[in-house]
Amino acid sequence: MNVRKNLAAILAAAAAAVLPAQATAQQEIKVGGIFDLTGVTSDVGKPFAQGVQDCVAVTNDAGGINGKKIKLLGADYAYKIDQARALYKKLVNDDKVVMIQGWGTGDTEALKDFVGQDKIPYFSGSFAAPLSDPSKFPYNFFVAPTYSEQLRSWLDWVKQDYAKSGGKGKPKVAFMFGDNAYGKAPIAAGKKYGAEIGVDVVDEAVLPPNFQDATSQLLTMKQKGVEYAYINVTTTGVSLVLRDAKKLGLTVKFGSNPYGFSESLVAVAGPLAEGVTGVVPHVPFGTPVPGMAVLEAAHQKYHPTDKHDAMYVRGWATCLVWVEGLRGAEKAGQLNGPGVKAAIEKLADFSTGGLAQSVTYTPTDHRPTMTTSIYQIQGGKLVKIGDYIMPRTKEWFGL
Amino acid sequence: MRCGDFRQTYADDMSLFESPLPRVLLAGFLVFLLVLPQFATTYWLDVLNRICIAIVGAVGLNVVTGYTGLISLGTAAFLAVGGFATAAMAGKAGLPFVIVIPLSGLLTAMVGLVFGIPSLRLKGLYLAVATLAAHYIVEFTVTHWDSMTGGVNGISIPPAHFAGLQLSDDRKMFYLIFPVTVGLLFFTKNLFRTKVGKAFVAIRDQDISAEVMGVNVFRYKLLSFAVSSFIVGVAGSLLAYQARIISPENFPITLAIDYLGMVIIGGLGSILGSIFGAIFITLLPEMLRLATDSMSNYWPGLMVIVAPIKMGVFGLVVILFLIFEPDGMAARWNHIKAYWKLYPFSY
Repeated sequence: MNVRKNLAAILAAAAAAVLPAQATAQQEIKVGGIFDLTGVTSDVGKPFAQGVQDCVAVTNDAGGINGKKIKLLGADYAYKIDQARALYKKLVNDDKVVMIQGWGTGDTEALKDFVGQDKIPYFSGSFAAPLSDPSKFPYNFFVAPTYSEQLRSWLDWVKQDYAKSGGKGKPKVAFMFGDNAYGKAPIAAGKKYGAEIGVDVVDEAVLPPNFQDATSQLLTMKQKGVEYAYINVTTTGVSLVLRDAKKLGLTVKFGSNPYGFSESLVAVAGPLAEGVTGVVPHVPFGTPVPGMAVLEAAHQKYHPTDKHDAMYVRGWATCLVWVEGLRGAEKAGQLNGPGVKAAIEKLADFSTGGLAQSVTYTPTDHRPTMTTSIYQIQGGKLVKIGDYIMPRTKEWFGL
Repeated sequence: MRCGDFRQTYADDMSLFESPLPRVLLAGFLVFLLVLPQFATTYWLDVLNRICIAIVGAVGLNVVTGYTGLISLGTAAFLAVGGFATAAMAGKAGLPFVIVIPLSGLLTAMVGLVFGIPSLRLKGLYLAVATLAAHYIVEFTVTHWDSMTGGVNGISIPPAHFAGLQLSDDRKMFYLIFPVTVGLLFFTKNLFRTKVGKAFVAIRDQDISAEVMGVNVFRYKLLSFAVSSFIVGVAGSLLAYQARIISPENFPITLAIDYLGMVIIGGLGSILGSIFGAIFITLLPEMLRLATDSMSNYWPGLMVIVAPIKMGVFGLVVILFLIFEPDGMAARWNHIKAYWKLYPFSY
């Protein structure tokens, strides 16, 4: 008898424990997260994931989406595509998330067809231009100018800088990139634009994955008299190129894409990074913009000893945009994939408080912004040297 | 109770099943696996399918590495050949899977034959490096042959189809992948009861003795590469059908290392070992992720910290296996089986 009574009590307690959990579950908005915390791009993937996570925590602390908390179901896929796919299936079919914050070119490319079929908005850290064309990939989003616009802007800077430093004729430019989808993304667009504005692309140097030495590529560039070079790999690779260039005594002016250029480049390459230019779509941590106060408060609150960089800000800024999308969808009573997509496509000149350029999405154009900020490392600091605005033309759409 | 060895003929000695009971148990287990998908969620179906594909790939690698003693680092490359062959035949030519899968296997077998040629002169680590070259040659080819493979951006594969049947989801895919897996397992198990299989084992144990016994070493080494590549190619084909989008980034050299890990942890020269190894290596990251997921539920900030621990645990488990069970999981399984067979009279 006693046993039975105890059992009943336990069951009642268990039921009591489960029921409120279900009640709160209705007040939750589930968002998936596919991050690289341990794989080949974890040097930039980890701070990105942390930025997203902190942004969600702060949003929830401030009351969530109209009282509903965001539940970020994030996990590491170690940049392994089969694991990303498995994770995606789990998030969409088992967890029933309304949208996903993804990561790199690997997972985004492997899932681009599925997110369209399943109607799951997918925010990526990949800024490949084809993803900005909703007629092909209606559910893909990102928060930065496309890789192609970035390279075009950098080429504009090259032309200006060349003229300023008294160069005659056309500046000779080289592109250095990895033999993968991320590395090659802007190259065709860059070559075409270079020819249009009178910049001579004389060399394309392919860097192998996880390379430790770029001497042979740099020697070829030296032979061809290259004056400017755009390095389209991540931070570790950029610093290796800078090291070898110094060793060979090259006077090339280097530039880099947003995954190779941040505070960590200064930390890794030290004085070698001096004078290097780079595309910075998301401001360095600590830049005095209105939106930064929240980040600094979160930094103090959650992990005051950590160091942060522009990748952290990138994760945060991306998250702010889709949080706004969730708000819109909630208001319209459409907290589902198509609802979130529609809400995001209503965003016009949405400001992230200066963390990134203001973004605009329409149902026919997912190019968030046409403005690219170029920074230069001067005295160990990232200093902004200009904003380059590209026209929102049809010819460049999706290229 | 069985208390002795009742094998009296050669046929008995070669039999797959010692008594009727294992036969019944195996049949029951297969039926169980066939029913399982009806109750599994999409995520677990995906895991189940990937385990089956890994089993096929591991068995293929075990033929050449475990049974013939030729270390191969070309598994990822052969998977890629099978995968991209499937993409071309199913995607561009629109052929049904009953034609595509065997053809992909055959094509991979031919590629394997070519890359098996260095095995005439090279052994051990030198051969491993030669197969590594195969990996990079194939990787370069699939990355740059844009018109056929879609280059770095990858290529989409339509759902597997045959006579109006569309295998569009994971549950339906399971009923394609699972029978192929079981079929290939029986094929390989039986292969090593034949002259060809025994020649492979002879070469592994001592190639000079094998030659003296009349085994044409070069011919059988090449044959071993061909059989192995065929099976791995089929795995690649299934992988392509299951993934629906493949790019060169699906087949990194670390994938070949994973497969080597499967056959070493499972047991070199053992079909059962390939199965155990494939299950183990595929499930381990999933299990560790589920564990870290449930932990991060209580403390969200944990995810960023816990994820790298996963790698450490993975390495630790592999090392512990190599220390405490160097013959692989299959050997441990046999120990356990022997123990219970004689229980409680172990002597």
